[in-house]
Amino acid sequence: MLLETRHISKSFGGVQALKDVNLGLEAGEVRGLVGENGAGKSTLIKLLTGVYHLREGTVLWDGKAVSLTSPAESQALGIHAIHQDRTLIPTFDGIENAYLGLDYPTRHGKIDWKAMAARVQSVTESLGLELDLRKTAAALPPPQRTCLEIVRARMRECRLLILDEPTAALTDREAERLFSVVQTLKKNGTAILYVTHRLDEIFRLTDRVTVLRNGAVVDTVETGSVDRDRLITLMTDSVPVRAASRRRTFGGVLLAARNVASRDGSVHCGELYARSGEILGLFGLGGSGRTELLECVYGCRPMSVGTVELNGAVQTKPTPASSLQNGMALICEDRRGKALIGDLDVRDNILLTSIDRFAVGGVLRRKAEDAAVRAQIDALQIKLADMRQRIAELSGGNQQKAVFARAMMTAPRVFLCDEPTQAVDVLTRNEIHRLLRLKADEGCAVVFVSSDLSELLEVADTVQVMRRGSAAQRLINENLTAQQVLSCCYET
Amino acid sequence: MRQNKAAVRRTLQSYGTVLALLAIVLAFSAIRPGSFCTLTNFINITRQISLLVVISLGATVVMSVGEFDLSVGEMASLGGVMAAQMAVAGAPLALCFTVPILASAAVGLINGFVVARFQALSFITTLGMSTVLSGVVYRLSGGATVFENIPDGFSALGTAKLGRVPLLSILMAAFVLLFWFLMRHTPAGRKFYAIGGGEEAARIAGIRVKKYKILTFVLCAVMACVTGMLIASRVGSANTTAGDGYFLKSYAAVFIGCTASRRGVPNVLGTLLGAAILGILANGLTMLQMPTYMQDIITGAIIVLSVVAQRLGREEGQ
Repeated sequence: MLLETRHISKSFGGVQALKDVNLGLEAGEVRGLVGENGAGKSTLIKLLTGVYHLREGTVLWDGKAVSLTSPAESQALGIHAIHQDRTLIPTFDGIENAYLGLDYPTRHGKIDWKAMAARVQSVTESLGLELDLRKTAAALPPPQRTCLEIVRARMRECRLLILDEPTAALTDREAERLFSVVQTLKKNGTAILYVTHRLDEIFRLTDRVTVLRNGAVVDTVETGSVDRDRLITLMTDSVPVRAASRRRTFGGVLLAARNVASRDGSVHCGELYARSGEILGLFGLGGSGRTELLECVYGCRPMSVGTVELNGAVQTKPTPASSLQNGMALICEDRRGKALIGDLDVRDNILLTSIDRFAVGGVLRRKAEDAAVRAQIDALQIKLADMRQRIAELSGGNQQKAVFARAMMTAPRVFLCDEPTQAVDVLTRNEIHRLLRLKADEGCAVVFVSSDLSELLEVADTVQVMRRGSAAQRLINENLTAQQVLSCCYET
Repeated sequence: MRQNKAAVRRTLQSYGTVLALLAIVLAFSAIRPGSFCTLTNFINITRQISLLVVISLGATVVMSVGEFDLSVGEMASLGGVMAAQMAVAGAPLALCFTVPILASAAVGLINGFVVARFQALSFITTLGMSTVLSGVVYRLSGGATVFENIPDGFSALGTAKLGRVPLLSILMAAFVLLFWFLMRHTPAGRKFYAIGGGEEAARIAGIRVKKYKILTFVLCAVMACVTGMLIASRVGSANTTAGDGYFLKSYAAVFIGCTASRRGVPNVLGTLLGAAILGILANGLTMLQMPTYMQDIITGAIIVLSVVAQRLGREEGQ
């Protein structure tokens, strides 16, 4: 056995991301790894590639116990991963990118560019690839970049290649070429761990499939022995969705987005509408464009075509300022510092969208501001020492509450929520759900994006599914099961 | 013991810059009690730093949104030359001072537009602008200092006194107050800091990032122009390179000022403090008859140290 993991676990601040995972991989095997968002796939990959420190459990490599404490160690063993977020240097050409992290060959103390080019070229050809290696990575189309990363992995001894959603950015034809590369690698005895949401690829490429759910291995099966429905059943929790009091009658349409396409191509034909009193769940797999659609609607991602109708005002080029003006607020998870400004204090962060509202004759009314902020802090029970402390010092849950507090300051009628409960403990999560329901009952419309399907089904009245950048089915959440929603996400 | 250490460290971080200023004042007072530590000299110092403070206020605003304007020196020279030439040509004084200000606002608008619209590096953009401006100054002046036939009224601004206090010092105080109010008590100031703290988050919060960035460049260029005109008025002539020396010193003042703020961000009172440290050093070292090159070495070292101190302060915070 090439790779064997024994009882590996990983937790982040009390959240168990992986539980007691046992996995065995043979050389020359293509293994599929599937599971819902948050099932633990990325965590497993990061453990194997040394990005996360492995503390619980053991990893055997060729039957010998190894420590995986850094990417360098993992690569030295021959484990390479190709991620969704690319790791090429855009301004370097193919040859230098392939050599990243390796020693450049020298001749008389000078870099031997010829030898470098020849070596990269031969590796490229051995994989049956055609690549213009003189082009910079930035100038290559996305599929060729993926190929270049495979070349880079092959430059070293690569005995296990982990492909993480490798076709997310590829067209069908480009994907075909990637599949043939996978076959070539397999013939050469490289083991491949193939992680994807696209089940058709699992059936085409893999020998066996491992299914993860909630951080644990549910089963590992021969690919030939299961069908698509069986796989989805394995992936989704069969626990029935909790029945919550859901609304069936709604007011008028407050927000309608029609035929939205983003300029960067991540959304082709996005549609959604949300009515007064409604919580609309927007769901799709990674890369389906659900967050991107939300950003287009709010105005922080450029739209090429489409209209957004908000409280009766029609716009083709919404901006965050116009959205806020028309009564819509965006609540997002604080990825890449989009939601909060860490250097500012709690008070200024909460006031960020309503700076002008507290100015009288061009002068800020500090007392009125303080009172308004204090009211929100009390209403949401944000725990802090002082509203003048830096927001970065608050806990994740309280930071998320501060993002909510800010949204409340402008008294919006439409709430766009992008993963509002990510990195938040269960208690706060329930509070946020309750708050959104309260707002809906007051006549607001809520659009709720979550990659956690069971959460979505717990909260949403209606579910809009997105698939590959376009709107798919719209489902009424009446005893809707995860399986029903997921089967809309996978193309038939 | 450890707590004590941490407390000392925090105090040093909060008041270190003020303490440094006090230490410098005390040192010079001890060495030259008769000439340094006198009311006359302190009034003198306020006049000496006034021009640096005025130009640094503009730089403070640009830096609060996380950008640089490296064209302030050339802008100051241009402002001085334009105003002086108009005065020599016999234009009414009011016009002599308003036309250059409008011109500088246009320059700031261009700087800001290029940086905000095309997300160009402000460093390079304004460096290019500064070269353009030096060409314009040369075209206007032919490279010669404007000094003949400058009317008395033109020089009054830079030389007049109210009692013992120079008008320049009063102007400086007024500008400091104005900018302090702008940065602390108006929506614009709050938005500047939000943009400087996180442009993307500010944009998503509905702040018109481009508009406010452009505004900072306009303010900065105008303040540079005002400084240039005050220099010309003060010395009664307009040199084509009069503003050169102010560029680096103004950013030095802002950087030293950052160390005086809890979060390490540019702020008006800090900038005043920074300019005071630089001005008092220059004043005192001259009094000690320290050669100019030694003054340069000492001032430069202090600038580098202040940048390091600013980074250290930030790390502590995070």
